Amino acid sequence: MTESLVVLDRVVKRFGTFTAVREANLTIDQGEFIAIMGPSGCGKTTTLRMLAGLEEPTEGEIRIGGKRMNTVPPHERDTPMVWQSLALFPFLNARENVEFGLKMRGVDAPTRKRRALDWLERLEIGQFAERNIETLSGGQKQRVALARSLITEPQLLLLDEPLSALDAHLVIRMQSVLTRLQRELGITFVYVTHSQSEAFAMADRVVIMAQGEIAQVGKPRDIYRAPANRFVAEFVGRNNILSGKIAGANAGFVRVETPVGTLNVQAEGTAPVTGTEASFVVAADMVHIDRTPDGAENAVQASLISEEFIGSVVTLFLEAPDGTEFKVQLQERALAALEPRTGDVFHLSWKAEDAHLLPA
Amino acid sequence: MRGASITWALRIYLLLIFTFVFAPIVFSVIFSFNSDRFPTIPLGSFTTEWYAKIFADSEVWEAARNSLIVSLSTCILATILGFCTAYSDYRYNFKFKGPYLALVLLPPTIPLIIMALAMLAWFSKIGVSGQLWSIIIAHSVLTAPFAMAIIRLRLNQIDPNLEPAAWNLGASEWRTMREVIVPFCKPAIFSALFLTAAISFDEFAVAWFVSGLNKTIPVLVLEIVQGNIDPRVNAIGTFVFFISMTLVILAQLFFLARLNTKADPQ
Amino acid sequence: MSRLNAYALTWRLPIIIWQILFFLGPLLFMIAMSFFLVKNYRMIEAFEFKNWEKMLSRGYVWDSYWLTLGLAALSTAIASLIAFPAAFFLAFKSSENLRRWAIFLLIIPFFTSYLVRTFSWYVILAESGVINALIGNIGLGPYTMLNTKFGTIIGYLTLTLPLVVILQTVSLANVDKNLIQAAQNLGCSPWRTIRAVIIPSAKAGLIIAALFCFILSFGDFVAPYYLGGSKPPTLPILIIDTTKSGQQWPRAAVVAVMMMVTLFTIAFASIMLAYRKRVSK
Repeated sequence: MTESLVVLDRVVKRFGTFTAVREANLTIDQGEFIAIMGPSGCGKTTTLRMLAGLEEPTEGEIRIGGKRMNTVPPHERDTPMVWQSLALFPFLNARENVEFGLKMRGVDAPTRKRRALDWLERLEIGQFAERNIETLSGGQKQRVALARSLITEPQLLLLDEPLSALDAHLVIRMQSVLTRLQRELGITFVYVTHSQSEAFAMADRVVIMAQGEIAQVGKPRDIYRAPANRFVAEFVGRNNILSGKIAGANAGFVRVETPVGTLNVQAEGTAPVTGTEASFVVAADMVHIDRTPDGAENAVQASLISEEFIGSVVTLFLEAPDGTEFKVQLQERALAALEPRTGDVFHLSWKAEDAHLLPA
Repeated sequence: MRGASITWALRIYLLLIFTFVFAPIVFSVIFSFNSDRFPTIPLGSFTTEWYAKIFADSEVWEAARNSLIVSLSTCILATILGFCTAYSDYRYNFKFKGPYLALVLLPPTIPLIIMALAMLAWFSKIGVSGQLWSIIIAHSVLTAPFAMAIIRLRLNQIDPNLEPAAWNLGASEWRTMREVIVPFCKPAIFSALFLTAAISFDEFAVAWFVSGLNKTIPVLVLEIVQGNIDPRVNAIGTFVFFISMTLVILAQLFFLARLNTKADPQ
Repeated sequence: MSRLNAYALTWRLPIIIWQILFFLGPLLFMIAMSFFLVKNYRMIEAFEFKNWEKMLSRGYVWDSYWLTLGLAALSTAIASLIAFPAAFFLAFKSSENLRRWAIFLLIIPFFTSYLVRTFSWYVILAESGVINALIGNIGLGPYTMLNTKFGTIIGYLTLTLPLVVILQTVSLANVDKNLIQAAQNLGCSPWRTIRAVIIPSAKAGLIIAALFCFILSFGDFVAPYYLGGSKPPTLPILIIDTTKSGQQWPRAAVVAVMMMVTLFTIAFASIMLAYRKRVSK
């Protein structure tokens, strides 16, 4: 069996007494778009820097293409990186920046130039080839930085929050540029970001890190629907988290006694013992909201506190009589039919299959 | 209206300060074209006699040649030393970094006359005194801190990811030095070259002590003024003034031009 | 990537060796030399206190010492006082543009030969020089200005005044403008604002400016020699005389060490004074 392109095998990184990454295990396949996400200081950038060889793991092993990479210096790897600050060379023009990697590999000047111009064309900034870096716009610089790291046609591209300095409208544009490129080239992207929308919009799989540990690895949908633990559930943020006591179990479901009533929750594997504390999540867009009860098994009444629009999606914030807060996400069209006013009481309900029990 | 009149008074005051600072420079230039051996007011007639005299004097040419060699060698040596220190300070954190920086930066705070005596004694002890390169060594110690300061300021402006970015694209550390750090610091390196050359070109106390028989221009001036009133000094001074000013203005152009374009439009 | 390797050492080591060999070496050797002996015009390495005893017991050495200290202190006081109104104007009352130009102009003198400027003063201040010729027209003078303490101070100021104005301007310009406005809103008169707000806020910079002025004046031999007449000589002139005539390098070293100890003491005291935290009441 051939090994995955990138393997992190119980990797630990310590800086003095501070542990930045602890016991990280991760495999990344050829052609995958992986996003590593987490709050600042969670170890995501350190992980990326270890892949680039800018930091050496304290323990464990990093293998790329089956080869142990721990002590290979950065310039002997083929793991180009797109930097948050872009790190373009200010004393070189756009074309010379793109050529840099080839120049270091001893490629002759005419070939270098031709290939650099090809890449600049491909990223639609061919006309700026001879321009001074300082005179380019943020988006153009971003494209130069991308061309510079892709010109050596690597198997693996590392991206460290590359879009964080761009305006919101450019971010969306660059996201589609990145996903298109990744698909066309068929190379592996490891993309570090603190932005959930970027990670979920682009990545095949998302790695969530917290305090140096990998909290969950999975497809965006799985992470959203079935967070592995409370941290991920809270970090993803579009979840309703409810807590209570297990009241009983039958056939893959448990009943949880919460302040807003006894609710049915799907339970994979062995059901927890009756009487123990338990938490579960319900994704905000899985909650049905109506003015009249619809007779579903999990129903709660709550009054509207506020609403928030992001694009065509609306999030409603509601409060049950005991103070438990609920988030409900729906399309703007559905909202119009509901005609909500602050203080109105609504009936919320969801299917037991959409409720996901968090590990204790 | 009182505020305005105070401002005017201060403006005139500033003008007086500038008069004091520039009077000797201006008079020196005027005297160098004045026919009187002992110039006063009213001025004598216009002459280029003093310039003709210094250009005909082989001793002046000899000193000019020495000064040129000394300041050229000094500026190269001091800039290399300053660059190494600035880069070490920028790139690395290490034990005893404080003492390390002090060792490099302290020389300008010690009076030149003390450095002159100390270097004279030490150089004769280790057998390198009385040579032209004794002055070069001494001047490089005295001027390296200025080179260090200028280059360090430039390195403050570098994106700390620029070096890693070059490694990441396949450049070794040495290659990165050549392809990234040196090109980035180029304006500061030129500034440092001009500035250290200018300081070395004017320094007389240490040069006088350690030079032996190899006089530089300032040492020659020192010897001339020890004798009699001699307007050749003004001619030499005016000449040297324009050379120094050219160097300083070049240093400014290189450095300030870069400082101003530093702002990233992003 | 910050491990100690050949690359890191290449940038760090050369200057350490260079400065130890040609900066620290000379200074330490000079201190050692102050204990050497001179016999038949030859220096003998020894550890004797003879030079120290001789120099410290001579009245003329102490005369020079107090003269040098006094003149340098006087020059520091005068330069600081003269510079302040100009720095105040540049920091608070002038346009940004004027300030930048003024500082640029004040840097120029550092790159013109101090010797030539001193010689120029020599001609200007002479009995029949420019100044006496000018005031002679209105029936005054002639005044003797050369070979006096006045001449020395003029020379010192030529050397130090531009630097003091620059340093004072920079430190005053860094005073928080809100602080000044607050003081004025609270009814402080302009004079009181300067004394109670501006000077305490810029204290560190003002003291450092004065310290630089002191160091430069204390170590200068050109002004006291050519404009001050060198009677009695200042310490730097004493070093030159002792070194250049009679090969008495160890005695010159004694004077140099005296100067260094004095300077370090004063520098240390100034820096303590400059950065001392004000005691909160």
